[in-house]
Amino acid sequence: MFLEERESTHVYRQKRMFTKEELETRERLCVHEQPAFCNAACPLKLDAKAMLQAVAENDFKKALQLYEKITPFPHVLSAGCEAPCEGSCLLCRMGEGVAIRKLEQAVCAYGEKGRKGLPRMKKKKTVAIFGSGLFSLFLAGELQKKAYPVTVFCAENDLQHYFDAETGFVSARARESSLLALKGMDIQFRFQTDLGQLSSLREGFDVVCASWEAVKDCTDWEEALMYSRELKIVTGKTSGVLGAAFGAKKAALSVDRLAQNLDPSNTRGEEGTVETKLFVDLTDVKASNQCIGSGTREEAVAEAGRCIQCTCDACVKACAYLQHYKKYPRILTREIYNNVSIIMGDHMMNKPINACALCGQCSVVCPNGYDVGEICHIARQNMVTTGKMPLAPHEFALMDMLFSNHEAFLCRPQPGFEQCKYVFFPGCQAAAIAPDTVAAAYRDLCERLEGGVAIMLGCCGAICDWAGRYEMYDETKAFLDEQLKSLGSPVVIAGCPTCKKELSGHEGLVLTGIWDILTEIGLPESAKGLDTPAALHDSCGARGDRQTQDAIRGLAQRMGCTLVDTPYCADKSPCCGYGGLTQYTNREIARKMTQKCLERSELPYISYCMACRDRFAREGRESKHILELVYGTNAGSPPDISQKRYNRLSLKQELLRQIWNEETEEMDFGFNIEYSPEVTALMDDRMILKSDIIAVLQQLRQTGEAVLDGETGLCIARARLGNVTFWVKYQEIEGGYRVFGAYSHRMNVVRRQG
Amino acid sequence: MAEKNYYTIDPMGKLQCMKCRVPLEKGKAKFMYLDNGFPVELPVCPQCGFVYVPEELALGKVLAVERALEDK
Ligand code: SF4
Ligand code: SF4
Ligand code: SF4
Ligand SMILES: [Zn+2]
Repeated sequence: MFLEERESTHVYRQKRMFTKEELETRERLCVHEQPAFCNAACPLKLDAKAMLQAVAENDFKKALQLYEKITPFPHVLSAGCEAPCEGSCLLCRMGEGVAIRKLEQAVCAYGEKGRKGLPRMKKKKTVAIFGSGLFSLFLAGELQKKAYPVTVFCAENDLQHYFDAETGFVSARARESSLLALKGMDIQFRFQTDLGQLSSLREGFDVVCASWEAVKDCTDWEEALMYSRELKIVTGKTSGVLGAAFGAKKAALSVDRLAQNLDPSNTRGEEGTVETKLFVDLTDVKASNQCIGSGTREEAVAEAGRCIQCTCDACVKACAYLQHYKKYPRILTREIYNNVSIIMGDHMMNKPINACALCGQCSVVCPNGYDVGEICHIARQNMVTTGKMPLAPHEFALMDMLFSNHEAFLCRPQPGFEQCKYVFFPGCQAAAIAPDTVAAAYRDLCERLEGGVAIMLGCCGAICDWAGRYEMYDETKAFLDEQLKSLGSPVVIAGCPTCKKELSGHEGLVLTGIWDILTEIGLPESAKGLDTPAALHDSCGARGDRQTQDAIRGLAQRMGCTLVDTPYCADKSPCCGYGGLTQYTNREIARKMTQKCLERSELPYISYCMACRDRFAREGRESKHILELVYGTNAGSPPDISQKRYNRLSLKQELLRQIWNEETEEMDFGFNIEYSPEVTALMDDRMILKSDIIAVLQQLRQTGEAVLDGETGLCIARARLGNVTFWVKYQEIEGGYRVFGAYSHRMNVVRRQG
Repeated sequence: MAEKNYYTIDPMGKLQCMKCRVPLEKGKAKFMYLDNGFPVELPVCPQCGFVYVPEELALGKVLAVERALEDK
């Protein structure tokens, strides 16, 4: 029984994962790139978050650069800005917000000026500004930044008085610096102007601006544009320091448009404050108070250090897979979408698509339910459809599933019953990892439940579902349904939450968990909890299944276990690394997932999925499946891949012998094989089964084909089994072979003529 | 014109075919995968045509090419 290899690389088929609209709808769910609350509240669009980070890193030069981006007069602005950012700071929800304005002042005081950029080519169009005051000052600064030849007409006698007009709130030192800056700007001044002469003085200028006071009789102006269509003057009423600065920004943009003979409302982009949908997890954040005091450099650094650099990373914090790829779901989604859409060439995202555990943790920890697992699952199915899904990463698991549902499959009604009220479905992993526990559970259910309990040993189909092989999944589903029907459509007692979840997709099937049955009928005498406190790990298969999560806790407590709460428990639980076939497709990430599960507690772990139990034990943690505690069994140290198959087969045979009194075939192939422990470990690592070795040696016995390596003295034989060629290094011994090594490849090798 | 070989191994008399009891020789072979072919020279039995793929080759170059093709 073999699987079909993926299609030729020269077959070009394409199918979209979903429409562009759906892609965008999904992407929009992620708020990671939304602005921080402080940034969103600033109409001048200061990147306060970045500025604070620079200050916290004692980089005042960079901080000043960021601050200068939004204003030509940082000293003036920071001295009087009404600072709506401060009120919006997320920290205000607990303790005091960050003292952003005082930090801006510190940035002005301690930030060394960068070198002046090269002088820019002046623009051709000329601009006149009439009047003085903050709006005039800021606007003059903005326009000279934009390289317009600017002329300011004011009633004042000199630059000092022009500057002083509305800047009384600025400290003496800051004034000095600002005045110096103003002097350095390339702006023409006409002092002692009679502003009443505006209409004649404006002659010859391409664009005219004026302070509100200078155009007294203006009745018709648009605040959004700072423009009077009636007078053709860029002007408007502003209030406060920030208001003047923001008004000047809008005005400068209108000047730009007018200078190009466009309507000032033309393509202005987003101006002013914005709404942010950012979500920040405050669980680990403690309330604190401002510490800027008199504003020394050290105090500023400390105060900026209070900023928590608001961002959403709830999913990445929780998931080892996202951490591994260092990508946020939105980017990941886009790259996956593009990967699936390309017909030719390297599909760089195949590995990430196949490495996700499809566990759905992201969809629960994300404030907007972003489900990366669903996207990877759709992508996998898509790749299967277009023939682009490589078989290699999933083949072992799929073959394992076929093994579970053929050689190791068992479906029997309890002796004495033709049809049963129940059927126990322990799941393929339980049979592979803890066969004795499964047998004990089945005996107990037969004994204590009325109406007959059938058994069904097999795989629920999760494996092919995870691999994206939907046709195989449908076949598996139909096969299981048919088997269940033959038993009289009994109530299915799942032994594994993932099986329960997968089986819940079958129509008309009545489903429960062994944990629910045990809750109802009580624990057997064998039940005994752990003596020490333990951490409970919720199975990702039970996400959203509160009843199961609670039932397990109830059973553990009834057995006398002391359960300790861990972060990310219940619905938020991470996957152990088995889900989605990560264990097969990417061992490195799977291992990181396991470690992420285990970093939550130092204690022994109790789980209710056999795969979790297995992976935790492999990491060296004391690990028990709840059923081991219920039945006083011990599955011992984790089995290798061959042992897992053997366990499934021998569980079936043992049940047949002991419960149904059936003779079973001896598992004998007619010769002996010796393996050293190193070879067994190597085979486990290379996913080579003992049954593969046997097949190679059987072929050797039929054909006599092998090579003798004169250097090592070892013989090497091979066999092509399905899509893989296996090579075995051996020596003949009495009655059989001693195996020294094994390796495999998927490529076919043939002789070439000529 | 000689075809380009992606890989060449000369057994140098160190390998023997167990079935034919003769030394393997450098011979022409071809790797095939997902509809792509790569001409190579590998140890081949001059009599029965057994082609030997050594471990280093299987786990090195062959694996790398497999992986690259799988994601095409
Ligand atoms: S949890 Fe992740 S996916 Fe959800 S909004 Fe935050 S960063 Fe985006
Ligand atoms: S904590 Fe920092 S990033 Fe968040 S709103 Fe406050 S100042 Fe902005
Ligand atoms: S591994 Fe789980 S939590 Fe991480 S992206 Fe995949 S489905 Fe989401
Ligand atoms: Zn030969």
